[in-house]
Amino acid sequence: MAQTRRSYLVDPLVDNNPITLQVLGICSALAVTSSLQVSFVMALAVTFVTAFSSMFISMLRNYIPSSIRIIVQMVIIASLVILVDQVLKAYLYDVSKTLSVFVGLIITNCIVMGRAEAFAMKNPPIDSFIDGIGNGLGYGLILMLVGFIRELFGAGTLFGFTVLPTVTNGGWYVPNGMLLLPPSAFFIIGLLIWGFRTWKPEQVEETEYKIQHLEEAH
Amino acid sequence: MKALRSIFDKIEPHFERGGKYNKYYALYEAVESFFYSPKTVSTVAPHARSYTDMKRIMIYVFLAAMPCAIFGMWNTGHNANVALAALGPDAVSGWRFALMDWLGFGLNPDSILACLFNGFLWFLPIYAVTMIVGLFWEILFAVIRGHEVNEGFFVTSILYVLILPASTPLWQVALGISFGVVIGKEVFGGTGKNFLNPALVGRAFLYFAYPAQMSGDSVWTPVDGFSGATALAVTASDGVQALAGQGITWWSAFLGTIQGSMGETSALACMIGLAFLMVTKIANWRLIVGCMGGMIGFSLLLNLIGSDTNPMFGMSWYWHFVLGGYAFGLAFMVTEPVSASHTNVGRYWYGALIGFMVVMIRVINPAFPEGMMLAILFANIFAPLIDYFVVRANIARRAKRNA
Amino acid sequence: MPEQDDNQGFLARWKALPTDSVPKTIFVAVSLCLFCSMIVAAAAVSLRPIQEVNKLKDKQMNILQVAGRYEDGIDIPEAFAAFEPRVLDLAAGTFTDAFDGATFDDRAAANDPELSRNLTDDPAGIGRRSNYAVVYLLNDEAGNLDKVILPIHGYGLWSTLYGFIALEENGNDIFGLQFYDHAETPGLGAEVDNPRWKAMWSGKELRDAAGDLKITVAKGVPSTDMEAYHIDALAGATLTSVGVDNLVRFWMGEEGFAPFLENLKAGAL
Repeated sequence: MAQTRRSYLVDPLVDNNPITLQVLGICSALAVTSSLQVSFVMALAVTFVTAFSSMFISMLRNYIPSSIRIIVQMVIIASLVILVDQVLKAYLYDVSKTLSVFVGLIITNCIVMGRAEAFAMKNPPIDSFIDGIGNGLGYGLILMLVGFIRELFGAGTLFGFTVLPTVTNGGWYVPNGMLLLPPSAFFIIGLLIWGFRTWKPEQVEETEYKIQHLEEAH
Repeated sequence: MKALRSIFDKIEPHFERGGKYNKYYALYEAVESFFYSPKTVSTVAPHARSYTDMKRIMIYVFLAAMPCAIFGMWNTGHNANVALAALGPDAVSGWRFALMDWLGFGLNPDSILACLFNGFLWFLPIYAVTMIVGLFWEILFAVIRGHEVNEGFFVTSILYVLILPASTPLWQVALGISFGVVIGKEVFGGTGKNFLNPALVGRAFLYFAYPAQMSGDSVWTPVDGFSGATALAVTASDGVQALAGQGITWWSAFLGTIQGSMGETSALACMIGLAFLMVTKIANWRLIVGCMGGMIGFSLLLNLIGSDTNPMFGMSWYWHFVLGGYAFGLAFMVTEPVSASHTNVGRYWYGALIGFMVVMIRVINPAFPEGMMLAILFANIFAPLIDYFVVRANIARRAKRNA
Repeated sequence: MPEQDDNQGFLARWKALPTDSVPKTIFVAVSLCLFCSMIVAAAAVSLRPIQEVNKLKDKQMNILQVAGRYEDGIDIPEAFAAFEPRVLDLAAGTFTDAFDGATFDDRAAANDPELSRNLTDDPAGIGRRSNYAVVYLLNDEAGNLDKVILPIHGYGLWSTLYGFIALEENGNDIFGLQFYDHAETPGLGAEVDNPRWKAMWSGKELRDAAGDLKITVAKGVPSTDMEAYHIDALAGATLTSVGVDNLVRFWMGEEGFAPFLENLKAGAL
């Protein structure tokens, strides 16, 4: 039992990562990763929402009528998201300004809904909570990696502290402007997936069709 | 030559299957087939027998780009020398100008040789960096994947260099070609499987990553302190009429004595290259027709609509043709067979989409005065979809006929 | 067996219903909605005051920054107490007491047909202009006017830039300029936030001795007689720079604060 709980927490980090393996939650990963601080807060927010929504949905799973189960899940998730949004606006105003609509869009983050529907509806609350934490951290791990690369090479800073002094501020580093634009996260995530699947070949999907190889004649 | 052949024959077994350097067969093959034609030639049915193989196609494209390259070198050198003459001797700095002096070429803007050699000194380092870095990636992937290094990179490298500004820092050249080769080609499986043009992917990467070095007024002529806007940038802010004030006539833009990336300024040189590609049947004329049609049609429509605030609306199609990267893109990028549509009907649509998009981006998007690069990349993405619909339509038509 | 059912209590009958029955579905839906709405409403109401303070502080911080009075860790409301918000009638160039400067919302007023008007000549790309603006007066310790902070906004490349410009008491020397809300391209147009670029505004003048508006954001090296009025355009961000040039010239011109600045210069306030 302890072993499976551990795997609920650890598996989503690399082996079953929601972004790199399941390719969920990409939109917010593109939008909020231009700096580490924002990625960090977003990762925390998603982890919080996934964990608690999974837990509450799991607690109610025997009482939720299947005809309205998606709506029930949405209501619970949405309430938690609004809660997070309000708290951020009250206590982390600067970050909430940068995150803007993307906190609200956690509601539509496929990871949260996915865990609720795929895991919490079938498993007890504590397991669901741990599973939510694990998936939130798996998401957060990728977010932080992408945020690290984008902020370091795009602006020459990490968490706002100058690491590579940029030319516009009198230093030597010419920042890579593309990394400040959302599409760059697309490339970085693609390269991360490539790296993950080279490291763990079992993550590669089966090809839909095989190209026949003739006997080579050098 | 015989001695060379015998060296190859002697070392070849080491790279064959079972030999101790089998891992590096790709490297051997690349060097050998550079000197000799490949031993594996398809001569029997069902293969078509033709003298044109991949290598010959690539060499033809390379040759077709030569007028642009040579004219580009002269133009770069000419612009630099003119700027230096205007700015005075204080602006003369850097090893290139010192070398020119030492070799006795001088910096006379009227001397063809001095201009050509000056431009060559700007062209060569960029080309060398492109070749070294690009081949590094090509060989790395070939060795890991166990296939042969493809000649396609020779074309990619020359096209990539010709669409860069002469003053591009070399480290950016290296980054751009790395991105182009790896993200634009190798991640999809290498030459023939890429749906984007790798040279353009590299250029687009630099354009978005380092806009200050890739656009603006001071990058086109590699002289410190000299600034001159491209003809398109002038038009975007003040209209075509303003070009006359800069001394730019349609003819000078057609000949290519204007500001711009190294090889793309001369529509004439591009047309010579295009004619060569069409005679050798490498460029498909349907793509050209589509691209010209789309551009002319949409720019005529915009001329008709007109605009009080945006002078680009009034730009006529023959100006669109000679300014910026249109002619170069038309000759060498639109006609690139791998990333274009593969069906004949699809080729018209593919070309027309590029023609339409280039005018659209140039005229209507306020941030990008130049649009050829983005238009071609955009159409690259749609090429498979266009083919899909053409094939679907064929199937539907045949089903109807036989029903 | 209906008799048996009658004998059972309501609760037992309810329990026996399947989860997917209509009454239970409605019950779950209603109770869940009630519960969640209570939580959300409670959070929203209890946190609102803090959020309002944050918003206000954010605006005050920007005003403090543009006036050079901001340092990390200072008490913002306390520092801001030195500023006096006044509502200005733009056309007359005089203060009006018809509105309260602390609460008047000039962004909202720009959409109110009663309080604003359509612009025919609109270089800043703002469409409508409020007839009134909130300006902030900063007095020095002796009680004399030290700086005025004026709100400005206008269209750049992708977005409307909102900001403040701080002028010295003569209404002609620029002390600073700062944008607090925009969505320009990161790394290019967004460099309007770069401290080095903002610092270039300090010490520039709006008008020459003849009273002509000279302030310009442009590329290249200015001629010597323009040096006091020239700000370098942002590298690689032509259209944002043009936008900033337009909006500053618009707001400092006749349609903007020029009548007020003239009054200020003449000491008529």
